[in-house]
Amino acid sequence: MNRRMLAALAVVTLALPPLLPERHLATYVLLGLAATVTAGVSMLMGYAGQVSLGQAAFYAIGGYAAGLLTVHGVPTVAGLLAAPVVAALAAVLLGAPLLRLRGHHLAFATLALQLILLSLLGQGDWAGGAIGLQGIPQLPVGGDLGYAYLIWVVLAVVLVICRNVVASRAGRGLRASATSEIAAAANGVAIARYRLAVFALSAAFAGLAGGIYAFYLGYLAPGSFPILLSIEFVVMAVVGGIGTIAGPVVGATVIVLLVQALNTLGTQPGMPGYAPSVLSYAVYALLLVATVLYLPRGIVPAVLDGARVRRGRPSIWGK
Amino acid sequence: MSDFIGYLLTGLGIGAGYALVASGLVAIYRVTRVVNFAQGAFAVVAAMLTASLLGAGLPHGLAELAAVLTAALAGLLVGAVAIGRPGTTPGTSLIVTLGLAVFAYAVEIVIWGDQPRSFPGLPGVAVVGGARLQAHYLLILGVTVPVFVAMAAFFARTDLGKALSACASNPYAARVVGIDTRRMGLFAFALGGALGGLAGVLTTPVQQVTFDSDVTLIVNGLAAAVLGALTRPVVALAGGLLLGVAQTMIAGYGAGAYQLEVALVLMLTAMIVQAARRGAVPEMAR
Repeated sequence: MNRRMLAALAVVTLALPPLLPERHLATYVLLGLAATVTAGVSMLMGYAGQVSLGQAAFYAIGGYAAGLLTVHGVPTVAGLLAAPVVAALAAVLLGAPLLRLRGHHLAFATLALQLILLSLLGQGDWAGGAIGLQGIPQLPVGGDLGYAYLIWVVLAVVLVICRNVVASRAGRGLRASATSEIAAAANGVAIARYRLAVFALSAAFAGLAGGIYAFYLGYLAPGSFPILLSIEFVVMAVVGGIGTIAGPVVGATVIVLLVQALNTLGTQPGMPGYAPSVLSYAVYALLLVATVLYLPRGIVPAVLDGARVRRGRPSIWGK
Repeated sequence: MSDFIGYLLTGLGIGAGYALVASGLVAIYRVTRVVNFAQGAFAVVAAMLTASLLGAGLPHGLAELAAVLTAALAGLLVGAVAIGRPGTTPGTSLIVTLGLAVFAYAVEIVIWGDQPRSFPGLPGVAVVGGARLQAHYLLILGVTVPVFVAMAAFFARTDLGKALSACASNPYAARVVGIDTRRMGLFAFALGGALGGLAGVLTTPVQQVTFDSDVTLIVNGLAAAVLGALTRPVVALAGGLLLGVAQTMIAGYGAGAYQLEVALVLMLTAMIVQAARRGAVPEMAR
């Protein structure tokens, strides 16, 4: 993507929040949060070759860290800063044994991790139990509009970090290891260390988004972080295009807007009460299946490649 | 002592249900190297269908049979989508089955709603060694053990079973000797669907199902299957029974709320130990 397009996109997304009605402003904030988490998932899947079915666990850890700290009197800004740190620390501690696993084993291990966390949160009175944690103070950002700009800045920083990580020596090593771990290891790539670092970084993104989510809603419960949420992040990453910088944003935008539209459709008078949830399940499922089978690299690479071929250059995939 | 026997038999009954879910995972993984995330959905569909059919007046036995056959069909459909396209890697197929498991939610809610369902099983109370327990637990055990014996014999002794295993251990060689690996894979998915359906039909009378019970089912099933590295049915049976007994004992003698954690920690430990034993560098297949 060239500089001018990027600048135009930044201007449009920055100008958008004041023009949006309150209902859509909430969508804007939630979209930004989803894109932030998905950026981590995409990096994990694309550059470290690991599927995480438990990314919402780190989202929850960040949220609960920020929520618990501020409920007990810590300033909100300190709570927000603690969210990514706690999530990253948890990822390092848990990742050290878990990242020995590969492929489906790792996918199920991360799923198990989230189930354990949800169960512990549901039973822990210190975390508000199944009822949840209430009375989390607001961040001093001046209402919903402030949150919209905060998440814009956070997402921008996260994307810049992703870009720099990918372009770094470690990023090149990881990309090599995603294609052939043996070859990369033989060439001196410290795979285990890099994988753990990416795992922790993606957890930090999720934790930061979770912290903002906690302040934005002012309320957290284990039910806010279902397994389906983790699957949603994977769907967004896959649909947008794994291992691209713009992919998570495109994927999150497509999914969030589509689900929002279907929600509006599903709550029309005359629709059965289960329509919104059924429609959103069906959309996640069909988009995920259709993308992995027919557009395995996701939307962004497919569009970029299409543009290259139209300009008369060979496809980057060599087909 | 009678408490202990009661917990043991109840646990074995519950564990047999896990083992059946595990057996479906093993059947599919052995042949296609795909971990089927939709395995829990087969159980849910079969259980809900049985409840509907029994409600419509179909006798026991017939309703269950119809549900298991429907689950087999569902398995075939999942398989057709997951491995039907040539060149689909097992990793891609895992994500496809994940998508199909979510799709099953939509279908299940439209047909059966989002409320828990159950139906009566084998009535009566059995007394074994001074312990009283629902007779249905004995039925679960009585069906599961022969199913596993048959499955082990099928994979080890019949030509079809050997052909199925050949697909997994070396797909290229299997094709060279004239085995249609894709058809074998679809057959495995249908078999896995039937086994998953059987698990749902058998366990629902003692444990009601909702549309999202599949996560618990798949996690417990996978915990059992992983002990046998997802390829050995008999180890999966032992794993399932062990898991069921351990959970029931823990629930019976105190910390009842931590049943799921037991399964999960057991699964994680088994996987990490196996990974450590395999060594740091993984084999080529991914």
